[in-house]
Formats: sequence, C-alpha cells, structure tokens
Amino acid sequence: MNEIPRRDPKTVMRLARLGSLHQSRLSFMRILTRRMARENWRFEKATFEIDDTGVGHAVLTAHGPERSYSLIAFAHDLPPEKRSDRVIAEAWDATFTLFDGIPTNDDIERLSRNIPLQEAGRVTGTELSVSRANRSVRLWEHVVSSLAAGGQPDSAQIDSVGYLMRTTAVYGSGKLGAADREMIADRPEFRAPFQVEMLSVYLTRWFVTELVQHMASTRAAANGTTAARLDPALARSMGIGNSTGLGMAPFLLNHPVLFNNWMTARENAIQSVRSLANASETEVTRFRNLIARSSQTIDTWHSDHPIQIEKLAALRADIDLITIYLKNSNLTADHPWDRLYRWAEDTLSLEGQEWVASLMLEPYGDLVDGFAEHMAADNTATFRIAGAMTVGNLRTLLTEIYSWAIDTNWSAPENKARAWYVSEEKLEPRLGERFEEPIEEYEQPLAPGRDAAALYQSLAHWPDDSHVSVFLLRHPEHRHVLRRTQIVGHAPYAEIRDNTISAQVLPIDMLRCKLSFFGATKFDPRSDRWVRICMYGNAPLPYELSTDNADDWVFPQVKEHAA
Amino acid sequence: MTHSLNEIEAIAKRAARGSGLSWGLAEEAAKGTRWLSAFDLPGAELLAQLLVQNDRIPQIDVSPVSLSAEVWHAPMRRMSPLIAGASLSDCAQSLLSRGQIIMEDVSFPLLAVPFMGGASLRLGVPVAASWDDAHFVTDGKLLCVNAAQTALAVDRANTITFSTPAEMSGPREPVLRASVSSGAWSQLAAFAHRTYAPATEESRRLGAGAGLGDND
Repeated sequence: MNEIPRRDPKTVMRLARLGSLHQSRLSFMRILTRRMARENWRFEKATFEIDDTGVGHAVLTAHGPERSYSLIAFAHDLPPEKRSDRVIAEAWDATFTLFDGIPTNDDIERLSRNIPLQEAGRVTGTELSVSRANRSVRLWEHVVSSLAAGGQPDSAQIDSVGYLMRTTAVYGSGKLGAADREMIADRPEFRAPFQVEMLSVYLTRWFVTELVQHMASTRAAANGTTAARLDPALARSMGIGNSTGLGMAPFLLNHPVLFNNWMTARENAIQSVRSLANASETEVTRFRNLIARSSQTIDTWHSDHPIQIEKLAALRADIDLITIYLKNSNLTADHPWDRLYRWAEDTLSLEGQEWVASLMLEPYGDLVDGFAEHMAADNTATFRIAGAMTVGNLRTLLTEIYSWAIDTNWSAPENKARAWYVSEEKLEPRLGERFEEPIEEYEQPLAPGRDAAALYQSLAHWPDDSHVSVFLLRHPEHRHVLRRTQIVGHAPYAEIRDNTISAQVLPIDMLRCKLSFFGATKFDPRSDRWVRICMYGNAPLPYELSTDNADDWVFPQVKEHAA
Repeated sequence: MTHSLNEIEAIAKRAARGSGLSWGLAEEAAKGTRWLSAFDLPGAELLAQLLVQNDRIPQIDVSPVSLSAEVWHAPMRRMSPLIAGASLSDCAQSLLSRGQIIMEDVSFPLLAVPFMGGASLRLGVPVAASWDDAHFVTDGKLLCVNAAQTALAVDRANTITFSTPAEMSGPREPVLRASVSSGAWSQLAAFAHRTYAPATEESRRLGAGAGLGDND
C-alpha cells in the first residue's frame, strides 16, 4: 500500500468545505477541559454579591497547578430595548473580564468602572480578556419562573434554545489594553490557541447557572416560598451561546500562519489515522458508539436559515448512508479508516465528509492530541520577505497557489461585487457592495485571489532572474500579497483558495470554520454573515469536571428508544 | 495609561495606510513601531512625525533610487526610514555579502532600526546600525542601545551605516508594554481615521447583516 498523503490544500481550503467543518479532538474547548481535568484544577466561588434585582458582581476563580485565574462578572439590569447582539450595542445583561490571578478590592473597583463599558473602557496587563453576554429572554424567564415555583424547567424548552446567555464578543490578545498574547504564550495552559477565551467562557457558563438560581431564589423568597435547585443534568445540558458576526470573518485571512497551523494539525491527524493498517475491536466500538452519539446532536440541530436547512438535510441523508456502510463493513483490517474516508469522499456531501473525518480521530487520542501542541503561531520569522527570491520562482509559486485566481476574470463585476471595509462607527469589519456603496477607497486587503492575480500580471514583463527586492522597490502596492504568497509557499494551508469578494461569497463559511476549531456545534446562521452557536453544551460544570468526563461531553449519551 | 503592543501595531498600520502607504508598507511600519515600543523606544511618536512629514506624497520620491548603489539615497534627498528599512530587510543577503549598507539623508532614522532586526533574524547573525551618537546592535530578539537621548529622536541622519556581523553587548530585553504620548496617539488616530468608511444607515443594515431581533 502506498503512503497515504495529506489532503491537498486545493481540496481542503475551499470556502464551501471550510464552512462544513465540525469540532474534533483538536478543538480548543476540549484541549482546555482535558488539561484542567488532567491537572486537577480547583474551582472556587470567591465572591457572589448580586442583589435582588440581579445587579452586582461575582468572582469565580480557577486554580491551576502554578497559577490562578479569576472571572470577574458584572451583572446588570438591562431594559429590553437595549438588548442587541450587534457590536454597536452599548449595554448588556452581563459583562466579564478574565483576571490574571486573584483580584484585590482595588482591582474590582477599577474594573467596575471599565468592564461594564466594554469598548468604551480601558483595562491593563493584568486582564486577559474582556467579554459580555445577553440573556436568551425566553429561556431565562422560563427557568427562573419554573424554579421559583418549586419545579424544574422543561427540558424540551431548554433543548430548543440550548443556553441561558450568549456572548456577543470575547476580546483577548491586547484588545482594549489587555495583556498581549506574548505576555502569557509561554505558560503551558495557554500554549494552544484561544485558551484564555475558552477558559473565560467556561467560567461564564458556571456564573450564569449560579445567577439564574439566585434570581429564582430571590423571586421565591419574595413570595414567601423556596425555589427548587436546578437539576444538575438540566444545568449541564445548557451551554453558553455565542452570537458572531462579520467582525470575526477576516480573522482567518489576517492570521495566515496561525490558520495554517490549525488546519495542518487537523490534516496531520486525519492522515495519521487514515494511515493505520488495522484497528482494534475497542477502537472500532468506540467509533461506532460516537457516530451514534454524535448523530443525536445532528438530530437536534435546528436552523431556520435556508442554506443550513439544505446542508442539514444532506447531512442527515449522509448519516443514513454511513449507518448502512458501517453495518456492512469490517473496520478492523485493510486500512479501515482510509477506506471509510475514500468512500465518504465519493459518496457524501461536504458536511458528511468532514463529520466522518473529525469522528475518525476520536479513538486515537494518543496519536492525535499531540498535534495540538503545534497549533499556535509566532509570526516573526515568516513576516519578513525573502527579497533574494527570483521573479521566476515567485511566478512558479503564484501559479501553484493561485491558478484559480489567475484564471478568474476580475473585470467581471460579479467576481468583485463585494468589498471589505472598516466602518467609522465601531471600527469593525464590514462587507459592502462595491458598485452600490462609496466604500472602495476604504477597502481592506482581504481579497488575496484578486491581489495575487494582479501581482502575476505586473510581473509579466520582468525577467526571471530579477530579485523580488528590486520589483518591490518599484511596486510597493504588491508588497502585501507578495508576502502572503511567500508565507503560503511555506504554509500551504494558510490560504483560502476561493474568491472572498464575489457576489456569492458567504462570510458564514469563514465564521463556521473558526468556530468549529473552538469546538462549537449546532451552527445556526441568522443571515449570510451572522451565526449563533452553542459552546460547552453538556460539558461538566467546574465542580463536576474529572478525567472521566473531560473529553466525551461533546457527545450526548444515546437516548434509549422504546422498541 | 499604558497600551498593549497589539493596540500600537493596529493603530500604526491604519495610520500608515491613512497617510498613503501601501498595505504592505503599512504592515512594515506597524511591525517596526511595535518592535520599538516593546523596547521602550519612542516608535509611535516618531512614526506620527514621519507620517505628517510625508503625508500623501508620492512614495517614489522618498524611496531609494537603487539597491545596488554604493550609498542609498532618495531622489528628493530625504529618504523614508520605512521604505528604505523594508528594502534593507529585503536585501538581507546582500547586506551579508557586502558587509555594510550606507544610507544618506534618512528621516527619523530610529524608525529604520527594526528592519535590521528582521535582516538579522533572516541571516542568523547580529546586525549593527549607527548615526551621529547613536549605536545599535540586534539579533532580532534583543537590542543593544548605546545612544544619547537626543540622538535617538533626531528627525534626520546625514548617514546611517548598517553592518554585519556585529557583537551584542549589554542587550535589553523587550518590556511588552508601552506608553505612547497622548499627542502622538491622537495624531496616529487622525491618520487612521482616514481608513474608516463613514457609517450610513444602509451600511449598518447591509454591511453587518444581522437584521433580526435579539430579544428571543
């Protein structure tokens, strides 16, 4: 048998496929919960000073082996007309910061004047993140009133929403004056990407369950009764929602090396598993079991958006085909995972292919989890342009990476109908209509295909043996995409091999890709550029976390059906 | 009040773009300003002054005429430290083979120093720079500074000499936190503002594309 190659970036790095990715063992939430369980982190509700109207603050601390981190939460009384998930909002139901260590009263006082303001406030190097969340009004009231009346909330209503609060932004890496990633990147617990943000959300979920209980108890007390304690299984079933818009979409384009490292880790993992000649009965049983459990997530995945409705229908049809395939296949011998993958590639939709590819990794923690160590990025070395590269070599590189773009007719309006720009209002990225709005002069460099094609044209009359340093002195306008091309030369999964400004581009594909690496499930697009997800649904709450439940929580237990 | 290095890099990139530099050069300006700020040097302050000086002028006028010349100079006898610096980084290999590159009449020479850090990282040997009473050596990660405060912040150097290899002595570690004067910050913010599209009701609606109520 020939060696099984890694999947070709030309196949993998298309928007439709990136927009079909699913969570895996390498997702950032699972990397975090595995570590915290393995290292036996301890969790402490240090402060909970919330009044009867739900206003006040709380401090929840996570103690790791060497350091502690505290979520400082501020709870607010938000009038409904101010509740907006948009970045232009100015007030929220709750606001948060993850503090490096244990805050003093002075820290809390300082932060109470800044965190509730979010973008309008300032933080310092002891703060690692800044975030906010809004209630699901419907579910929140249902849970509070049920508990206050001495009963439990209805699990069907909980399942239909999935969360009590959804975050609308979680800022890290130096935003608003917070600590730069460089200040903490050498700590083992933060070596993998987005661990600060994932820890913040994990503690936020705990805070929200404490807050909803507090509000129910307060309401019951006002009626002279006692509220019920929220059933632990129901509490566990709720995650934290996340509402994400265009602000996140350019991230993958703006961090090519980091993106490459995420994709490379997953592709290396898929290749390693496909390369196994045999699988043990235990491994096969585990895979079959998780297919069944993950299918339940797909069953309860609801979206009202036409694009996702269609994708979900295809995925559910795929699951039927997979079930038949698994019934008729022996997965123990003859490169079983490669056979399965190749069958999936020939038979299933992109959603189904990527679902199988992620699930194949599950039985192989020892083989796969180590790739997480290489998912972070330090851009210093790759940022510098290799000026001694010849124009001939650059031309070759461009035709290898960007042939699709060189062959695109960039004078056709539909191929450049959109333009990415930053709005004056909140300094956030937006996507506009190039030919209908006055935005082109503000365009951000987020169309690498078009720019690479333009570079290729400009090089046409330059001799092969010229150095790119000389070309760049004459053509500084190509410096950005030339750097990018050299990066992709070393980092083949760094580039999206698709048109990011066409009339058909769907920004939700980029959002889904990034959120799948976070570990999100049940993507629910609200438009072509806005998506809601659920994080940590079914995860053990901090006081329940153990090595037994730190990894599998993402897959619901199979519900027994009456025969 | 201190700033994170990411904030400095972000505003420097937008400001440089707002002054008329290409995106690729704006990225160089931003990385360089971040690098100087990390060593507690007045990168943001000098960048603000440079952008005022070269605001929206044709960049070719302040670019080196030739990279193979004995001494690099710009057509208008005032060379941009960002453009010359970026070229220096691009020419790391020829710096090594030539031993030195000399530049004439460079504006705000401190802004060219980060680029020798890039060259040094590429070559794997330290690179030195000097003008007047200012002498620097870096391996790209640490920086040795031997300079009078006045020489650091000069608005023009008659001659800068970059040379390699060089000896590291008394290196500084980066501090990873920076304070930028409020005057410089406002100046950079004014340049950055030019890159933002004015908001309209239509762009709010179309551009972000939410359009659904959130009280659900």
